Amino acid sequence: MVSKEEQNSLSSFQFEARLTQASLIKKILEAIKDLVTDANFDCSPEGLSLQAMDSSHVSLVSMVLHAQGFEMFRCQRAVSLGINLASLTKILKCAGNDDSITLRADEKGDKAEFVFESQSQDRLSEFELKLMDIDSEHLGIPDTKYSAIVEMPSSEYRRICSDLGVMGDTVRISVSKESVKFQVDGDIGKGSVCLHPSSVVDKPTEVVKISLEEPVDMIFSIRYLNYFAKAAPLSDTVTLSLSKDFPLQIEFKFGEQMGYLRYYLAPKID
Amino acid sequence: MDSSASPIDDDSIIQESLLYDSEKQEILEPVEYTQTRSKFQHLFSSYARAGSPLLFGEDAGNLRILQLDVDYEIVQKDTFLEDSSSAAVLRIYGVTEGGNSVLARVHGFRPFFFIICPSQFDPADLPAIKESLEKRARAVSSMKNCQGPIIHDLEIFEGRSLLYFVPSDPLIRFLKITVALPSYVRQLAQILERGDIDFSPYEESRYSTFEASVDFILRFMIETNMYGCSWVEMPSNRYHLPEKQTSHMQFEIDIHYTHLVCHAPHGEWLKTAPIRILSFDIECAGRPGVFPEPEHDQVIQIANYMTETGKSEPIARTVLTLGSCAPIAGAKVLSFDSEAELLEAWVSFLCATDPDILTGYNIVNFDLPYLLNRASVLHLSSFPFLGRLMGVMTKMHDTRLSSSAFGTHESKAFTMNGRIIVDMLQILVRDYKLRSYSLNSVSFEFLGEQKEDVHHSIITELFHGNENTRRRLAVYCLKDAYLPHRLMEKLMSLTNYMELARVAGIPLAWLLSRGHMIKVVSLLHRKAFPESLLIPDLKNTSHNSSEEAESYEGATVIEPKRGFYKMPIATLDFASLYPSIMMAHNICYSTLVRKDRVKYLKPEDYIKSPSGDCYVRPSVKKGVLSKILEDLLSARKVAKRELEQATDPFLRSVLNGRQLALKISANAVYGFTGASRGKLPCTEISASITAFGRRMIETTKSLVESKFPSSVVIYGDTDSVMVKFRDDLTLEESMSLGQQAADIISQSFPKPIKLEFEKCYYPYLLIQKKRYAGLLWTKTETYDKMDCKGIETVRRDNCKLVANVVSKVLEKLLVERDVQGAIDFVKKTISDLLQNKVDISLLVISKELSKAAADYDANQAHVTLYKKLYQRDPGSAPSLGDRIPYVTIKGRKDQPAHERAEDPIYVLEHNLPLDTEYYLKNMLRKPLERIFEPIIGKNVSSLFEGEHTRSITVTTPSTGGIMRFTKVSVTCLGCRTPIPQTESKEPLCKYCKANEASIYEKILCNVREYERQYAMLWTQCQRCMGSICQDVLCSNSDCPIFYRRRKVQKDLEDTSKQLERFEILPPPSW
Repeated sequence: MVSKEEQNSLSSFQFEARLTQASLIKKILEAIKDLVTDANFDCSPEGLSLQAMDSSHVSLVSMVLHAQGFEMFRCQRAVSLGINLASLTKILKCAGNDDSITLRADEKGDKAEFVFESQSQDRLSEFELKLMDIDSEHLGIPDTKYSAIVEMPSSEYRRICSDLGVMGDTVRISVSKESVKFQVDGDIGKGSVCLHPSSVVDKPTEVVKISLEEPVDMIFSIRYLNYFAKAAPLSDTVTLSLSKDFPLQIEFKFGEQMGYLRYYLAPKID
Repeated sequence: MDSSASPIDDDSIIQESLLYDSEKQEILEPVEYTQTRSKFQHLFSSYARAGSPLLFGEDAGNLRILQLDVDYEIVQKDTFLEDSSSAAVLRIYGVTEGGNSVLARVHGFRPFFFIICPSQFDPADLPAIKESLEKRARAVSSMKNCQGPIIHDLEIFEGRSLLYFVPSDPLIRFLKITVALPSYVRQLAQILERGDIDFSPYEESRYSTFEASVDFILRFMIETNMYGCSWVEMPSNRYHLPEKQTSHMQFEIDIHYTHLVCHAPHGEWLKTAPIRILSFDIECAGRPGVFPEPEHDQVIQIANYMTETGKSEPIARTVLTLGSCAPIAGAKVLSFDSEAELLEAWVSFLCATDPDILTGYNIVNFDLPYLLNRASVLHLSSFPFLGRLMGVMTKMHDTRLSSSAFGTHESKAFTMNGRIIVDMLQILVRDYKLRSYSLNSVSFEFLGEQKEDVHHSIITELFHGNENTRRRLAVYCLKDAYLPHRLMEKLMSLTNYMELARVAGIPLAWLLSRGHMIKVVSLLHRKAFPESLLIPDLKNTSHNSSEEAESYEGATVIEPKRGFYKMPIATLDFASLYPSIMMAHNICYSTLVRKDRVKYLKPEDYIKSPSGDCYVRPSVKKGVLSKILEDLLSARKVAKRELEQATDPFLRSVLNGRQLALKISANAVYGFTGASRGKLPCTEISASITAFGRRMIETTKSLVESKFPSSVVIYGDTDSVMVKFRDDLTLEESMSLGQQAADIISQSFPKPIKLEFEKCYYPYLLIQKKRYAGLLWTKTETYDKMDCKGIETVRRDNCKLVANVVSKVLEKLLVERDVQGAIDFVKKTISDLLQNKVDISLLVISKELSKAAADYDANQAHVTLYKKLYQRDPGSAPSLGDRIPYVTIKGRKDQPAHERAEDPIYVLEHNLPLDTEYYLKNMLRKPLERIFEPIIGKNVSSLFEGEHTRSITVTTPSTGGIMRFTKVSVTCLGCRTPIPQTESKEPLCKYCKANEASIYEKILCNVREYERQYAMLWTQCQRCMGSICQDVLCSNSDCPIFYRRRKVQKDLEDTSKQLERFEILPPPSW
């Protein structure tokens, strides 16, 4: 490995990006900080991304913010920013939800700068975060064609997870053409929630859509599904993609062209 | 004898004792081992004891033997005695100076006890009372078949009770009752205590008994003045040879007890005789995954290492193997076709070599029970005769030794008359506090040696191989037999225990099978009886427990003035504090005055302790305890003086053992008076002693501070005070002031209390009470050592990292006086920890699975891990009694730590991420904060935060939920940024390409370094194993090398893969 100093002497790199809404970053952080404590934010000309396994290596988080989603994005060369998420949370607490946020990494690469600007531009706050050197492997889940894709309101997803979470540890998700069914079997009893694809399309955010290649029936840990539910504020809808013997992918989109936050969870073997 | 009936005795063996058993052991006809004897008879007889120059008959000299063990048997008709009555025959097992084994059968000694005489007793009534006692005793079924009288003698004995001083100290009349057999003592005593007898015209309904609970053997030894491991002389014209040998010992004699001449262990009688010690170890072929069970699994090898004290070369080194075995240099290999032959041959080996002492590692709870159980499974009727008496079967019993000092231990006892079992594991558990008691770690600790640790599942594999794999196993087995012997020699266990037996006056074996109390009981009896002081039998110590059980105040601690003292701190100690208090104030059972009787005493005749109890002055009556202590301490002085003059190393070790034994015994006296469940507890005495101690510490403090202005007592505990005289003193000045202070203050205490100045701490780090560290100086030239109390250098429930860091930090602070260096070291360690550079063996904690997993109430890490391991593979899972090593790995948020315990090897193999945060916060932080707080104050948190914590390494596990599905995306070896898929063959990103040469060189250097380390570690293991041609099989979880070897192997693979990406060299294969 090459130390930060050497790395930076290699080029006169500079990274700078501005988002109009600090709330987006704040929500993303809320959605992953229970799973990941330290992570490398990879900055490249394409955008800002993060891939990390949770500390118990059961699930994987993958976040992408496309360059075009930023108000301003400048990246001369790819660089990784090692960030302790608890420290970053502390700094982001100082930003108002409607503030714009500017992220800068300077030549030395040992710190990142955050600038928060209120909408009326009469308040400007600047923070500096000391960066970490995180030596970890870069992991990803290869793209695949899923057998079943379910789109549903985020709030519905969150409710199902928290309702069923009190009953048991695992949930069986069965997807057929007609419905998606969440079943739990716990010590105190059983429960299930069944959603049918909605026929009315007047409120797009309340729609349940199922696209199916073949029916699936898999078991997952509710605890992790509940961790993922923390991302519900990021998006009105959530997409669950399933394939037999393959991790469940749960995707929250930040809006058109902005990017996404994806979680992957390995199925439990029955 | 029958201890189960005695009052709850702190030390007694509950359930069944060996001695008790000797009364009812059955004698079987001796078995001949003709079959196996023929095969190795010749070899075995070459190991036998030397033929004897000993002559029997008129002109033979006196026979002198070193007594090693004493037991007794009950003979219905003892024809040696004139009246051929029923009697107990004592058997002394001994060795002559020439190394011949002798069994002396001692006849004629009868047990006795005392009761208080009825009031207004007329001596003329003695015959009548004797008759009614005899009659009453005959009515008891267990006594009615006694040959000859049951009551042998009844006489008046004038004496006093040991307990309480009665003003004017009158003599009391007792009746001394001598009975036929040991077991009758208690039975009669119980009858008398209950008052279940009528001595008309006397109307006492109950009789208090005295000394009825004294063990028969101890009674005999006291009466004949015989000490443990002492020399016994038998005049030539007094002993007789039996018509028929009853034992495997070389010579047997019969003698009347009055003819024994016992030599107290002084002067020339401090010598010892050649004692034969057999150390052995067995190997069993277990089935896969199950710890060997005698019901199913064969004994495949027994290794023996026999030595004789005084000889440098072993007498025999043999290994008995099942199936062929290649020869081993320096050892005799005896191969057998069947297990039965092997076992029988071992018994004939044992009889032929006739060892006095059997030793080994965990033989009491593993090897011996296994052999006996295995023999019974195989129906080998000739096997269980391991003792020295012919035809006496060796049986096992469960015993439980409960002792306040050693805790409760369940164990096994064996009838193996004449052979003393000294299990080194038990000795170590008793005498040393260690992290782990595995033979391996103990050997490493004391001998500086590692041994190959072959897991028991591999043993079967080796056994089923060929003669070379069995040879390998045999070498391993021999080493296991050799190491206990080495340990015994190195720790001088035998010498020290023999000296203790001599000082305390009890048989050697009792020191191992009983607690501390028996030593003081023996000393007390030996001192009190000549003064006609009789020891009462306290029936039930709980009879007035409500008031007596109240706990008394312990020792005092002067509140520490915490800090890091850079000037010399003088330490003033009271030498042997509690013994000297007892002597100075004449504290004893026999001088204690009951509170209601104090008024009959003149004020100048007694001393009142700060706790309010009164003791008469020595001028009125000198206490027995004081006399015991005076004897012990003056004997210790003599021993120490002789030790200084002695040059012979063997004599030196004996003398050193002796002075230690004397010290241990003196300190045991105080504990004896305080043990609430002991033989003769007396809280008044122990409370008085501690009260005097507290007052002395406080007096010392005020005297020092008043006589030496500007001096401050910074700390004091039990028997010592730490004094800072002035800030600017040199070491020399402090030492001379300390000496002055000790001399001046000693004068204000009664003799023999003495305040001594022995050492200075310079510098001294006082953390809190009972926690401090300092460099200890007794002379001005160099320091003696670093002295640490209560600091995490030795605690067993911590990982080694903590101990290592703490001791290194203390060294930097105290020896090098480099505070900044210590801080830097801590930061470096933390930084290494977070980057996963710390050796995993340093992070391992191991706990014993002491009971079935279901029996644990709380969730403990090692139990949770055990369940996990069992699920993974029931075969290789640890078994009950194994120590389970574990490390803590990362887990979910809020996942309890015990669920995150994982097998270190599994962690290494699967590259699981360690929870470095947990180690930092829960293990390292507290101890380090304690040390640094007195030095850098509130800044202490800077050690754990800041720049050095910002580099971390997160390992990627090769197992676990999502890992099966992930793909590692290629990152640049220079700057770690992802490399686009189109260029995935490239080792570097386009920005780093310019520096390819230097990055390549760096990685190449890493690979070279790992290769070098791996080669070194592998060599180390080969050396330990003693062979360079075989694969290393060792899986020793106590060995740091083992983990490092595995880790480096892994690192090497990883870095080699990095190197491959440059596609310059062909990939090496590891």
